[in-house]
Amino acid sequence: MSTIKKRGGPLQGIRVVELTKVWAGPYTGKLLSYLGAEVIRVESLGSMDVTRTYGVEDINNAPGWKAVNPQKLSVQINMKSEEGLSRLKDLLATADVLVENLRPGAMERLGLGYEAVKAVRPDIIYVSMGMYGAEGPLAYQTGYAPCFAALGGLSALVGYEGEAPTGMNVRYADSTFGTAAAYAAAVALFHRGRTGAGQFIDVSAVETMSSMIGDALINYSLNGVVEQCNGNRRAEMAPHGVYPCAGGDWIAIAAHSDQAWQALAGLLGLAADERFANLAGRKAHEVELDKLLGEWSCSQEVSGLVELLQAAGVAAAKSENSLDLIADANLWAREFYPNVTDAHAGSRMTVGPSWKMTRMAEITDGAPALGEHNTYVYGEILGLSEAEQEELVNKGVCR
Amino acid sequence: MSALQGIRVLELAEQVSGEYCGKLLSDFGAEIIKIERPDGGSPTRYLGPVAEAGDDAERSGLFAYLNTNKHSVTLDLTSADGVQTLHKLLDKVDVVVADQRLDWLQAAGLEPEAVAASWPSLVLCCITPFGLQETPAGLAATDLTVFHSSGWGFHTPSAPDLSRPPLKGAGRFMASYEAALDAALCVVAALCERQASQQGQLIDISMQAVLVTRTDYVMGQMVAGDMPVSDERTAFDLAGPAAIYATADGFVYIWMSAPAHWQALGTLLGNPEWMNDFPGDWLEKGCTPERVEVVRGHLATWLAGEQKAAISAAAQKLGLIMVPVNNAADLQACEQFIYRQYFAEVEHPQLGKLVHPTVPYRMSETPAAIHSPAPLLGQHTETTLAALAGGEQ
Repeated sequence: MSTIKKRGGPLQGIRVVELTKVWAGPYTGKLLSYLGAEVIRVESLGSMDVTRTYGVEDINNAPGWKAVNPQKLSVQINMKSEEGLSRLKDLLATADVLVENLRPGAMERLGLGYEAVKAVRPDIIYVSMGMYGAEGPLAYQTGYAPCFAALGGLSALVGYEGEAPTGMNVRYADSTFGTAAAYAAAVALFHRGRTGAGQFIDVSAVETMSSMIGDALINYSLNGVVEQCNGNRRAEMAPHGVYPCAGGDWIAIAAHSDQAWQALAGLLGLAADERFANLAGRKAHEVELDKLLGEWSCSQEVSGLVELLQAAGVAAAKSENSLDLIADANLWAREFYPNVTDAHAGSRMTVGPSWKMTRMAEITDGAPALGEHNTYVYGEILGLSEAEQEELVNKGVCR
Repeated sequence: MSALQGIRVLELAEQVSGEYCGKLLSDFGAEIIKIERPDGGSPTRYLGPVAEAGDDAERSGLFAYLNTNKHSVTLDLTSADGVQTLHKLLDKVDVVVADQRLDWLQAAGLEPEAVAASWPSLVLCCITPFGLQETPAGLAATDLTVFHSSGWGFHTPSAPDLSRPPLKGAGRFMASYEAALDAALCVVAALCERQASQQGQLIDISMQAVLVTRTDYVMGQMVAGDMPVSDERTAFDLAGPAAIYATADGFVYIWMSAPAHWQALGTLLGNPEWMNDFPGDWLEKGCTPERVEVVRGHLATWLAGEQKAAISAAAQKLGLIMVPVNNAADLQACEQFIYRQYFAEVEHPQLGKLVHPTVPYRMSETPAAIHSPAPLLGQHTETTLAALAGGEQ
């Protein structure tokens, strides 16, 4: 019987091998793992993921690593040795999906390009992730997440009206990119389930960002309009913004219908103000409207104000800080922060999946220590005897 | 054969989240039967950008973008007949994608748990702002309020001016697009399972939860007690001078985090005097707000006279990570996008030829493809209902 327990979930029985770094590729693996797949990260001391070492002493207790890699397995394989590469190919011969986000050309240099992997596993689903994708005149370029958002047209749309764009918070882009890759992998798994055929998937981070602003790109095609950042405004609604509250809090308010505006106007004492009687008027006088709303909101306590507005049928929410997110009632009602356990540091909370489904995969394990599953991979999957595994240690393939 | 060909999806969507989820599935050949209200159809038909000419229900570029490859069937779900027809349709489809709230679903006789029980092989995916369990029920919500319920709003932009409001993200629909990706992922994963089990299931997507999961590198550390939680707007930030700067013709983004980046900047600028005040490793070991401020000032002055594409290329050659901040016009002209055919021309009967963004994944066996424009309102009502009534499988 396997030492790896069955967790259920729609992708149970699928094996994913990850040759990934930092956040985007690991996020793809995490989504597949949360859907029930067995996800094995291939790691080596000589080419360690920076999230294991960044700002920490103990590579097995690195907070960033733990945040993105729960419920995965880790096998240590020295890819600088022939023997290591050979064992990795043996592992890939048993895999359904390979996810990689190494630098452009790195997989080919390792002898692990699509054709090479296909030779050992003809129906492999090979997911290659790159800033600009695997092919094309700019495919050689690399960058960090905010570069994806800048290049893809997304950053230009974030910022205050009439000013230089600010872009999203610096953390944005990797996880969205990882999700696009996971979706494509799932589609390929479905196709393979019907036909037996694997395929090569080439995912572009920059294009993923462009896909998050598709309607703005259509505006250019349709009307020649190059959209710019516009603060918190939106053409179809006014007011539509984020306003100050007492104690440094902020509230997001959107008058999403005429009815909602009427209710809000009543609360503001603006029901009789003809400037704001219809959307066109409110758009024309939006600066004054925002000012009045801010003056009204700024002395009020945010949660009471959200309740008041919601009771009146107006879309309103606190702009949540990190304390709020950890205490958020809707997230807790979804059991959004599961407890996971790892061999080193015991139990901890982590960020769970966005979905609930009838037959969820169990999420119980924390992120793995380096090589924690060497015995499972080398022994159980590859069928090597204890003596053979010891020889791998002696040869420096693993520890 | 495209990957999802033969999969039939009933789309009960009137917002961007559900319609984009349907599009993600239809890109791969799933047959989407989009149910629309007879009096005007989906509300997205009236959202901008709109063309100047054309029938009111057919002028929206947004609708045209979100609904390629789909069939439009009008059905009055406020009538008993309409609901009955809908229930008959459920016998003929593999998937339902809905972005309606729970009260709407209940009124249409589609209580999610009951549907799952009555149609056991159906994959039913519900996308709602806070999930089907939302408390209190029926919260009024838009993409703006959901986005600000997720942490992304409060922490955008990085390094904020605290006197100014946090921002909504890019454009109008980030919360919807992000949620649609998770929804489509779960639907296809459930279809994979169904290949063997023959069982469907209920999928409940919370748009808020989707956005929070995208912060997992940060929130995963915070919820585990490894990173401080606070009411600071900078809580998600990384220190340093990385930011967007204005050039003569637009904007560039510079990332600087390592001594090598600092060195490259020096080479590019000809090692100016002011850089001598900084230790070579200050980005890693002495990244104070004062130093960041000084560097930002110098970068801003220098870049104001440069061209975004040329200076980015020069910087990249030296190992300084600088990229142009592209806009919609730049993207259509981008050689990489052209090479990869990211944009595709689609002929719409009223809008004419329109260039659409496509998908970020190139798939060797089952490429995504747009084979038909968004449907006119009710275009497929008769043929679809007749075919289904005729017992076509």
